[in-house]
Parts: sequence; structure tokens; C-alpha cells
Amino acid sequence: MPRMNSLVYTNAQQGQLRRLIPDIVRGRELLRDLVLKDVKVRYRYAAMGLLWAVLEPLFMMLVLTFVFSVVFRTRVEELGIDSGRKYAVFVLSGLVPWQFFSTALSTATRSLVDNRALVKKVYFAREIIPLSAIGVAAVNLAIGTLLFAVVHGTLIGMPHAAAFFWLPVAVLIELALVVGLALLFSCAHAAFRDVGHIVDAALLFGFYATPIFYWPGIVHSALAERGLDAYYPAYLANPMAGIVTVCRQALFAGTVDAALLAWPAVAAVLSLVIGAAVFRRRTALLADAL
Amino acid sequence: MPVIRVDRVSKRYRSRAGGRALLGRGGLFDRLRGVGRETQLVLDGITFSVEKGESLGIIGANGSGKSTLLKIIAGVTVPSSGNVRVEGRVASLLELGAGFHPMLTGRENVYLNAGLLGMRHAQVEERFDDIVAFSGIGEHIDSPVETYSSGMYVRIAFAVAAHTNPDVFLIDEVLAVGDEQFQRRCRNRIGELMEQGKTILFVSHDLGIVNTLCNRVVLLSQGKLIERESPRDAIDFYLRQVGAENGLHSFSQGGTEAILCDGRVSLFREGHELSAPGGFVFQMYNLGRWHTSTEADWQITVRTPRGCIARGRMPRLPITLLWRLDIVDGELQWEMGYECERAIEIDATELRMLLPSSMTRWACDDLSGAFPELRPEDTAFTPVTTPEPLCEMAAFLPPEGSDHPAVIARMKCPRPRITGDLINTDYITGCRLFRIAEHSPRGAATLVEGAYDWLSLRVGTGTPETVRLMGEQAGKFVLQSGGLTACFDRGKVRLAKDGVQITKHLHLYASLRVGSLWNDSTALRWERFERDGESFTAEGVSRRFPFRLIWTMRPCEKGFAMIIELEATEAFEADEHQTSIVLVPEYRSWRTEHEKGVYPDIEPGDGDWNHINRTYSPAAFAEATGPGLPTVRIEADGQLPHWMTAINTSALENARVLQALRIPDRTAMLRFAPGRHPYFSGCVRAE
Repeated sequence: MPRMNSLVYTNAQQGQLRRLIPDIVRGRELLRDLVLKDVKVRYRYAAMGLLWAVLEPLFMMLVLTFVFSVVFRTRVEELGIDSGRKYAVFVLSGLVPWQFFSTALSTATRSLVDNRALVKKVYFAREIIPLSAIGVAAVNLAIGTLLFAVVHGTLIGMPHAAAFFWLPVAVLIELALVVGLALLFSCAHAAFRDVGHIVDAALLFGFYATPIFYWPGIVHSALAERGLDAYYPAYLANPMAGIVTVCRQALFAGTVDAALLAWPAVAAVLSLVIGAAVFRRRTALLADAL
Repeated sequence: MPVIRVDRVSKRYRSRAGGRALLGRGGLFDRLRGVGRETQLVLDGITFSVEKGESLGIIGANGSGKSTLLKIIAGVTVPSSGNVRVEGRVASLLELGAGFHPMLTGRENVYLNAGLLGMRHAQVEERFDDIVAFSGIGEHIDSPVETYSSGMYVRIAFAVAAHTNPDVFLIDEVLAVGDEQFQRRCRNRIGELMEQGKTILFVSHDLGIVNTLCNRVVLLSQGKLIERESPRDAIDFYLRQVGAENGLHSFSQGGTEAILCDGRVSLFREGHELSAPGGFVFQMYNLGRWHTSTEADWQITVRTPRGCIARGRMPRLPITLLWRLDIVDGELQWEMGYECERAIEIDATELRMLLPSSMTRWACDDLSGAFPELRPEDTAFTPVTTPEPLCEMAAFLPPEGSDHPAVIARMKCPRPRITGDLINTDYITGCRLFRIAEHSPRGAATLVEGAYDWLSLRVGTGTPETVRLMGEQAGKFVLQSGGLTACFDRGKVRLAKDGVQITKHLHLYASLRVGSLWNDSTALRWERFERDGESFTAEGVSRRFPFRLIWTMRPCEKGFAMIIELEATEAFEADEHQTSIVLVPEYRSWRTEHEKGVYPDIEPGDGDWNHINRTYSPAAFAEATGPGLPTVRIEADGQLPHWMTAINTSALENARVLQALRIPDRTAMLRFAPGRHPYFSGCVRAE
């Protein structure tokens, strides 16, 4: 009778995709420990400790609220949004999911290389390493979401009921997308260290290519003025554009153009499948490349 | 059903060298340009399997693929071709504390690291107390590990790995860390795991440990696996096989073969191992740490089929070891010296000769004894004898009736203060240790620049009879009278009754006082040894005054007749002279012709050599008795008037003395005209 956690495997089986889920289930405690480790280590020697995890995004939100409700008030009104306060909430609603996407992808891409001491010495399901990096970002996402809820509540009031359904759906799709891309990129980064830089550059571009401080309508009309309508789908090819827009619609309009989520969902599933498969296949040789 | 099955495993690594500095290496550009295509075959079709409960040692030179093989078994990397099947959980100690984060506490790291090794929280909780107890970290367990000393760090890391309860244990050179006590604890823990039927794979350069811990040893050489019948064969094969490399030379003559391998000498005689697998090593103590010859960078400057000259540069000392090894007449001759580049303090210098446990008896000069048996509960090294000034010959004998030859070591040492002692190692190491050590007194340890001879050693084989004869050749005479043995050794005579030594320290000796200076017989230069049947004569020349002592002894009833004469070459005067027996402190009471008494206990505050008797007048004898000890008696035959006295030595020397003292009449001095004079004439008895 083999013990609960005993393994029988051969090297060939290690790379099999069907072992992925059992391996991750077996490593769930390790995953939790690694996430907790990163969170603890970040705030351990700070006098205010974990409070910083809240203070940092709170401070950022206060600055944004101040800037857009006081400094840029007139400019904001030109955009057709009735008040600066509302604009601050508007920006935050895009910024919170984007921050998660950006930090998760950026840290997870480098996670294998950063943790090469572990990867080269001990065997465990390697997916746990990028997953734990995403987990750390997810902790920040949770804190950010809570703060956003508070800000929204104080400045605008209760959101539309649609938000309680569509926001979790959008975040779930985003999470799947991040996991898929992170598996792919972290594996690629182990082989070519250029990948980390490329991902960072792409994320910088993505910040502007995603409707964070504007409505996608602006892009649409700008393209239409120049007769470049046909390129609008290219803009929407950025899955984050759809995800952020849906979040906005759910929060501010109460009705959602669900078709916008179709492509992000497809992209998420695709990246997840490809990412997991590539990672599993390459994982065995990862230790050699690190 | 094997636990580990390795099937035609090959591993090819892509070389990562090359590339242009600014564009980085191993990147896309290099790949496009076809740089870095060279590959290296590290493992080449390895096939073997390990049964449950086996402990397999893997040895091989650096870069032979040992660690790669372990990594493949651990699942850290996969083979380029072939397959590995491992049944059960694997814990690899490839690197201790790999998953430790310095800012986390010991407790958090234990959970994290155990998780990496495949344990769940509930399982860690069960063993947590054991882990902490084993590591000896105590209350520091809740401090961040960055505050730990490196020793503590390693201890907690090993403790976690050793308690993860794996089915297969992979150990890669980790035992080279920590202090000696911790290393011992690790070895014992590994021994425990073996007893529990765990499967252990062990990679080490320490052939001694591999030999003791593993019941099977395989050798990796250029990616191929070589297996021999016994661990010992595999190790021998390895030692020979790497013979062409620097720092290694194997030489033989007349059935004796010696291997010098990076500062370790192993010796064989016709298939018998004369040295234990740990071999003979040299080490120096400086700033709290031993620097061992095996750490040195060795160059063999002269190689002959029968010997070599080797230089070993010590990595952390400005010292180069200079060894010359030859086999002459089946005997290893080993000249040890070193060259010092600049002044340095060396507190102690040692030669450690590890001998197989099949040697059960020892003899140093005329003394002999048996090694206590090594038992599993021996976890520390236990002294067998106390360090004594180095004898000229030490022999190690197998049990009676064994065909194993006795190992005889003969030493010639140009330096003072060298001692020798015998030690039983712990059970796991399983050896006898003959330690030749030079300890420098505090503050006088500085070696100045220059070359030093340290020791000249000859190691050969013989029978118990040769051992006895060699003792006598060294200028020592052993006389027997009933159960009493007297061994004359350069001005002192050791007395033993039925094998139990009854004298100590200076033993039976004589001394002459000129001015304030006592001239002990042990300080004379002894020469002209003559043996005539049962009696012997030896002459000792004073290095300071114009006299010599002529010492004759022969067995008589219940003891030995002893005549000491003084031959003066010029006229000179002395204050007094004495002949004394220095007895073990178990002697309790004394008696002379005129009085008797009890030796008081020796207290630390007592002065040197206190006379206990109250009567000072010439007497015929003095004797001492003690419980279970033979009565010892010194008798003068009346040629000269001797005062017989009883003396307690200082607490440090802790001995009882019977003394025959001769002092001048009243005010005059003892005058010695040129010619022979009686000094002592009488006998020494014990019954």
C-alpha cells in the first residue's frame, strides 16, 4: 500500500500533460507556502508590516483621485465624463486589473530564473514557481479590489448589480490568460533571457493599448476620422482591452456587451493550453538551461 | 523489485561557452550563428538498479557525471535518452538549504523546505520537535535564519532533509559541512536510516566514508559505469585508475603497494590493506581549524615505479608540504617535511594513520595492549592510550592465528615535543587511529620562513616476533623475573608486574645534583648497549659534566639486581645523588628499616617532592604497598650508605616515590676523582 504522497514515476512520465493536475494538487500546500513566503518577506522588516500592502495602493488611488478631480477637472469634462471624482473611479477600474496583469506577467516570466537555486536542486512540479509569482500578484489584486470597492462606494455609491456577476467572470478570464502566458513566457525566458525584456516592453506598450484612462470609443472614433475603421479589431485583439471594457460597462453602464469577452476567453483558453503543454514538455530540461 | 532502475541513461549537455560579450551568450543570436552547438556526453548508457534497503556509493573523479546522475534520479533533470524509474519518494540532499530564505524564521523555513522535499504540513508537524532537537537550534528556531551562524544554517537544513522520511535518499557530498561533532551526528543519522531499510545513494570524495557507509560501490568514469565485486575493489580500482592524474601516484615493490592520492597515502601488502580506507593523512592546526593534506594542491615532481616526491601547497596556509615516499625492501619509507613561506603560527601538527579494525592489539616499544572492541554505541573517538613522547616503534597486530600481517611503524623524528597515541574511532568509521602529534606550547608556535623536516616514517609488516625483536634493537632491554618485567629505556626502567605497569612518569631512574642542577639519568646520552645472556649493560654520558653512568641489571630472585657505577673523566664535586622508583599513586603505605607510614593524599597545593619520612639515617631498604599491587622494594647491599626515604610528588605528577639518597658527610661535598666509583648497588624487587 503506497503512502498518500508516494510517487512512482519514470523520467518519461514526468513530462506528460495528464500528470499536471495531480502534480499541482499535490503541491498546493507548497504553492501556498511560496506565496506566503513572498508576501511575508516583502513586509517582514517594515514597522507597519502588512499594512503597506494596503497603504501602497491606497496612496496611489488618493493621488489619482486628487489629480483627476482637482488638477485636470476641465480636461476631464472635455472627455464627456461629468465629474473628476467619477473619472478617478473610472481610471482605477482599469488600473486595478491592469496592475495585476502587468506585475503577474512580469514577475512570473522571470520567476524560474530567479528561483533557479530551487529548480536546479529539488524536484517538484515546476508550474508551482510561476504560479506562486502570480499568487503574490493576486494577493495585491484582492487588496486593490477591496480598496476600489471602498473608493467606489464613497465617491459614487453602490455599483450596478451586473457588476457582481461580470467582474468575477472578467477576472477569472484574466487569471486564466495570465497563467497561460506566464507558463509560456517563463519557460521561454529560461531558454532566452531576452524574453523578460520583451515582455516588459510589451507591457509598457500594453498600458497605452489598453483602455485604462480613456474609453475605447475614443480609439474607434480616432480611427474612423482617418478612415482606418478596419484596424479597430486589431486594437481589440489585445484581450485586456475587452476585459477592462467589460469591467467598465458592468460598473458604470449596468449593461454589458458580452461579445467583447468572447475573444479574451478564447485567448485565455488557448494560452492556457499551449502554455501548460509547452511548459510540461520543456520543464524536464529546464534545470539544464538555468 | 528494485526501487531505482536506471536503464541505458545518457545525458548530453550543450556547451554554454563562447558568444560575444555584449550580445550575451546562449541567446538567439548565438543559436542563429550556430555557436554553442558543441555538446558533451556526460553520461553514456548507464544501466543499474538499486534494491530496497541498499546503500549505493557512487565514486569518480570530478566531472565524471556523479552529480548529473543523482540529479536525473532526483528528477531535477531528465536524461537525453534512456529511462529512470524511481519508486517512492526521493529526498535529495543535493544542496542543503536550497529553499531557505534568509528573512524567514527557522520554523517557517522548515515548513517551506520540507514542502519542497515533498512533505505536507501535517507530516512536518509530527516530526517538528525531532527536527529541532536534531539540529540543536533550540529557541533560535523562531529567529530569521539570516541571524544564524553558518553552522546552525547547515544543521537545520540537514535536520529537515534527514527527517523527511523519504524512501530514497540522495546524498551528494553534504557530509563535508559542519563541525566534526555534527558530521558524526549526520553519519549516525545515515546509519539509522540504513537500519530502517531506506535506500541510500551516496556521492562522495571521501572514500573512507563511502567504504563504511555503502554496501555497494560503483565507479563512474568518463560517463561510463564500472562495477566491481566489493566496495573495496571498486575503491581500489578507482585509486589505480586515476593514477595518471596529478596528485596521484601508485608505486610498488616486493608485494607492497602504496598509493598517494591527493595527500592521502594508502598502503597494501599482497592483497591485505595495511591502511584503513581513510589512509594516512597529515594535518596542521591554525586559527581554530585543521588544515588537512587532502585539501592541498598536489604536484608529483618525481615519479618512479618505487616511489615519488610530491609537493602539496596548502590552500589556506603559506606552507608547502614536501613528501618523499619510497618502498624499500617491502617497507614504505616516508620522509615528511614542509616549507614555510612566511612566519605563521601553527598550534599543532599531526599525522593520522588510520588502520583497519582487524588490528586488535598494539605494541609501542615494549608496551603492549589490546584495542577495545568497536561497538555500535561508540559515537565518538575514544583514546586507547594517553599521548606519550613518541616511541621509536609502534606495531599493530591482528588477533592470534590471523594470516593478516602485523603493521610496524618506525619513526625517526628530528623535533622535540612529538607525541604518539592510539585512538579507537567511532563505530561508523570503524578504524584504529595512530596519531603522531606535535603540540606547540602557547606563544611558541610560530614557524619562521624556511624548510623543516618533520618526521621520517617507515611502515612495513612483520610477525609478533619481529615486533619484539625490534623493540630491543631500539636500545631497550626487557628483563623478566617471574611475573615482573623491567624495561630499560635510556636511563629509566619501567616496571610491570603481570602486565600491569606499577611505575609511571620517570619510572626507576637515577639523578645526580651538581650545584643546583639535578642531572637525571634520562637526560644522559645513552650508548654502548651490551647484552650478555640475561643481563645487560648500558652507558650514559652526561652532556654537561665529566661523568658517565654505567648501568647493569640482571634478574635475581623476585626482582632485579642493579649496579650503577659512575665513571668520572675529570675530578668533580657533587652535592648528592639518588636512585628512585616513581610509583603509581595507588600505592598507599611505605616502610623503611627504621619507620613506616602512610602516603597522605596528594593535594593540588602540595609542593614538589615532599619527604614523608621523619628519620634520616642510612638504611638497607624501603618498600611500598598498595591494595592489589605487588610490594615494591629497593634494597642497597651496604657498599654505600643510602638514606631510604618515601616521597609524595606534586599533584601534577601524582606519584609516590621510594628513594635511595646519598648525601655527603656533614659539610663536605661528594668528591669524584677520575676513575670508577660506586653509585648504587643493590636490587629492586616486587612480589
